[in-house]
Amino acid sequence: MTHLDVGLIGAGGIARAHLPAWIELGARVTILSTDGNAEKLAAKYAESGVTATHSLAALLDRSTVVDICTPTFTHRELALDAIAAGKHVICEKPLALTASEAAEMADAADAAGVLLFPAHVVRYFPAYAAMAGSVGKGAVGTPAVLRFTRSGAYPVWAPWFSDPALSGGILMDQMIHDLDFARMLAGEVVRVHARLRGRQEPGAKPGDVAVGTAVLTHASGAVSHVLGVWGLPDLQFRTTFRVAGPGGILEHDSTALPGFRILAQGTRPPGEGIPGSPMTESPYLTELREFAGAVDGGPAPRVTARDGVEAVRIAAAAAASARTGEPVELKISEEAAR
Amino acid sequence: MKVGVLSFAHVHAGGFARLLGGMEGVEVLAADPDTDLAAPGEVRGREFADRLGVAYADSYEELFAWGPDKVVVCSENVRHRPPVVLAAAHGVDVLCEKPLATTEEDGAAMVEACRAAGVRLAVAHPVRFSPAYTAVRAAVRSGTAGGVLAVSGANNGYLPTARRRWFADPQLAGGGALMDHTVHIADLLDDLFEASPATTVYAQVNNVLHPGEVDADTAGLVTVEYANGAVATIDCSWSQPQHHPAWGGLQMQVIGDRATLEMDAFDQKVHGFSESSRAPFELPYGVNLDALMLHSFLYGSGGGTSVTDGESGLRSLRIVTAAYRSAREGRSVPVR
Repeated sequence: MTHLDVGLIGAGGIARAHLPAWIELGARVTILSTDGNAEKLAAKYAESGVTATHSLAALLDRSTVVDICTPTFTHRELALDAIAAGKHVICEKPLALTASEAAEMADAADAAGVLLFPAHVVRYFPAYAAMAGSVGKGAVGTPAVLRFTRSGAYPVWAPWFSDPALSGGILMDQMIHDLDFARMLAGEVVRVHARLRGRQEPGAKPGDVAVGTAVLTHASGAVSHVLGVWGLPDLQFRTTFRVAGPGGILEHDSTALPGFRILAQGTRPPGEGIPGSPMTESPYLTELREFAGAVDGGPAPRVTARDGVEAVRIAAAAAASARTGEPVELKISEEAAR
Repeated sequence: MKVGVLSFAHVHAGGFARLLGGMEGVEVLAADPDTDLAAPGEVRGREFADRLGVAYADSYEELFAWGPDKVVVCSENVRHRPPVVLAAAHGVDVLCEKPLATTEEDGAAMVEACRAAGVRLAVAHPVRFSPAYTAVRAAVRSGTAGGVLAVSGANNGYLPTARRRWFADPQLAGGGALMDHTVHIADLLDDLFEASPATTVYAQVNNVLHPGEVDADTAGLVTVEYANGAVATIDCSWSQPQHHPAWGGLQMQVIGDRATLEMDAFDQKVHGFSESSRAPFELPYGVNLDALMLHSFLYGSGGGTSVTDGESGLRSLRIVTAAYRSAREGRSVPVR
């Protein structure tokens, strides 16, 4: 693989998950953040040549790839700047807060001839990848009814998560993983109904709970249920799925078969933030390797920019439904119809 | 105590008759006169009673002439009303299979007939007797779980046509999976929320699972909003593979603002793998919910769980009829 110069924007939780993967891939990484954490993170990885900068121009100057790991409301502007500078862009999910902004980013990348890769990392979690491969080979037949749950402690460590104006709320920030996955498995979504309960306003504190429930109707007739919980501080991170079709079922509970577990450690640990998958390589590494390969002229990543746009479109429709209580009809986009 | 079993149409009839026959001091007499709608090859009537080893009457009239103390109604969903009204007319307490009926008109008439006659109308929702559910109820009722924000429930099962074809015939069942399976979790929530009314329902159904095999909906997702602020989404699909070792199950997650709870009413089992049949198998060891329900119906709850009453069964039926309206109209609908 040719040399990778990565500009990592943001130094929060996802940046800390991406950075070791970039180093393992041999990238030279420059980190930019506005909160002083870039310097701390760079210092921790100084032996691997990681440096920090205060200037977006300097970061763009040093990079062939830009990795946007900032809060959602900043994605569009940063991505458009990076695309305008001719950089390939990997952007943390969701691509943007609205489908039109996400489409604008995808169109800009198309026009500039660069990659825009939405980092829907669940596509790279081994259990999900195994299930998707098997469904793709017809293991359950045509998917008929799909269920996904995703729960963990409320992300109170960064205040923007609980502010729907900045994160899009639990539907857009957290449930989008499973909205994307449901669409990948069962096809385009034509109707969405969603409801929200609990704390959906800025200023969440430990002990607050937010819940989203969404029902998708796919063009195939399949139906999907997606449940998302930002829960109490001790709610262990957990994801589950059950995919049923005429040929059988595939189901998984991330906490049922962890490979390794701590049975006791004297105190009850609070729910952790970013999930790992310790019995396999980091799915973030798998994800970034696939993207880096595409940058290097290899096959396109399994997640396309349009997937990222469509996921935002579904999540935004779900959020609109959650406001009114009525289902929202989605027209199948021209790309999907083709 | 003399207990009548009216009709063998429902797949549970045989199990109920056996359990009742095994109870000390209980005499059982069954009648299954209306077998005109049975599919070819289905064993019904006197032959079925003989297999079960229970006494048989040729007609409901003969059964009521015997003087039963209680009766259990196991007819097709659309045929619940006549035997329940007959029981009321004879002044006999009646336990009716779920759903209470397939139309609100029938359900309301049954409730009214029993009320007017002063007889007890109970609806066969055995999952209320699950110790797992009892634990959920204790956590919610005590306030430990705080206010319930959301519920995610699944009641999946085999396509139930192998033993009784009518289950997937909307003319006899009143619908498909949505009619068959929504009410179990709706019933738990009616109890958990102390009859807080359902206000709106959104439902989507399909028949991707068994295309061409049955006419009814075989998969569905139902979202129910309650006056107490909770929202519940229920997967009612007949999505359990037909050769899976488990018939299906019932799971429910309850997200309160002070605790998150999860129950599985049927997960108490030993899992095995048989080399001779080259298949997994299971050894369920949980308590028999049907037996607990029947005992409570015959002898009272003794301060424990009561069998669902007719009013509650009617509330759950209204959720289902609203769900069918919603699925037809593609919008959320109020519960009448």
